[in-house]
Amino acid sequence: MPNITYIEPSGQSVTLSLPVGWNLMQGATANGVDGILGECGGSCACATCHCYVDASRLGELPPPSEGELAMLANVSSERRPNSRLACQIKVSDALDGLVVTLPPTQE
Amino acid sequence: MFSFDPYSPVVDADPFPFYKILRDEFPCFWSNEAQMWILSRYADIVAAGNDWETYSSAKGNLMTELPGRAGATLGTTDPPRHDRLRGLIQQAFMKRNMETLSEPIRNIAREAAAGLRGKKQFEFIGEFSSKFTVRVLFAVLGLPLGDEQTVRDKAVLMVQSDAKTRAKGPEHIAAYNWMQDYAAKVIAERRANPTNDLISQFSMAEIDGDKLDEREVLLTTSTLIMAGIESLGGFMSMFACNMADFADARRQCVANPALLADAMEESLRFNTSAQRFRRCLQKDVELHGQTMRAGDFVCMAYGSGNRDERQFPNPDLYDITRKPRGHLGFGGGVHACLGTAIARLSVKVAFDELHKVIPEYRRVHDQLDWMPSSTFRSPMRLELAAL
Repeated sequence: MPNITYIEPSGQSVTLSLPVGWNLMQGATANGVDGILGECGGSCACATCHCYVDASRLGELPPPSEGELAMLANVSSERRPNSRLACQIKVSDALDGLVVTLPPTQE
Repeated sequence: MFSFDPYSPVVDADPFPFYKILRDEFPCFWSNEAQMWILSRYADIVAAGNDWETYSSAKGNLMTELPGRAGATLGTTDPPRHDRLRGLIQQAFMKRNMETLSEPIRNIAREAAAGLRGKKQFEFIGEFSSKFTVRVLFAVLGLPLGDEQTVRDKAVLMVQSDAKTRAKGPEHIAAYNWMQDYAAKVIAERRANPTNDLISQFSMAEIDGDKLDEREVLLTTSTLIMAGIESLGGFMSMFACNMADFADARRQCVANPALLADAMEESLRFNTSAQRFRRCLQKDVELHGQTMRAGDFVCMAYGSGNRDERQFPNPDLYDITRKPRGHLGFGGGVHACLGTAIARLSVKVAFDELHKVIPEYRRVHDQLDWMPSSTFRSPMRLELAAL
């Protein structure tokens, strides 16, 4: 299973082996990672799974959908060029080793 | 030999011992009675929910589907069309757009709770939650008052199924048809006199320049009404059961209403009313030594995934300090419940106001009369005694 590293708001880093097909929000909430909520359950409807993707690997991800871009306008922490919603990023072998940083607040 | 019959009143009453056996011994189980596979472990349900290309919703998502509904609602459409449909109404259901509703919802809750003042015993559903949910839904959708009680009764009836025939009975189909006629009248009225409400917007929306299919508008509106009443009501009665049964947790919530949020999340995990939804396989899948075939239906038992000890330690304990993120009480993935924000807001406000009038209560009956439904689980009546 690919490894994904989350950097929590405290600076603590957590690396998880996640099943292919799960999304990064599910991986975090199912494993007790701090700094992510996922209130809507992963339907791209709440903007509480905001994350900053390692900028050097941003290009490897499928680009955000229109719905995700619209929802990113609602994030509570600063929106940056590498802002994504974790529920819209599916774990794949190609993403092994990806690092995502979680913002100070989600709501 | 072990069997699992989601139509059985025994399962309605207490599915959890069955789920435990399913998870431990038959994690991919063919139910002859339901004629579908049952997935019961958290990780398998999450994986199936994510993989909509394999586990399609287009043949229906209710365990016992209503005729003509599949393919015409959000829950019974696959991406990409699902995502475009959802995009049309999603914004209206976002948490921040709920804030304006907070005060009206509180007023409705306060009024409903005031009706219980001085009572020694009350029937929670008839005397409190159904009054509350119907009025909240009517306020949110801007529906004209007058026939709330009938709308409520039909919404509750249409989700039920017959335990003997394992199908929808004529009374359930009649309620479903009534709801469609009702929705059609509301839609026609809104098109004639549009306002700034969800139904006006949705009934005139277009996707890629095409008007929405008339059946989509009608059945999505019917589903919103059904969910707003039946699903919100089910959530409330299960939460009331838990608050009645676990007095320590309730007393903590009464002393500090901010804890209601945690108590509700744990309630959604512990015994969500949305117990089981189904998908249809688009290709053969091997899982736990079984081969499920393309075309087979698969049940995702959310209520079981939420009690999976592989995910939630000590799962049979109702623990309001657990903060169970990632629970399946609202489903998950692209089809996760659209109304999570309004449901959370409404239930929190309703219990905050209820507790101001009746802070101490317990269940009158140990055994409850459960709604006959293969999808949802909630009591038909819930007598509570004020202490």
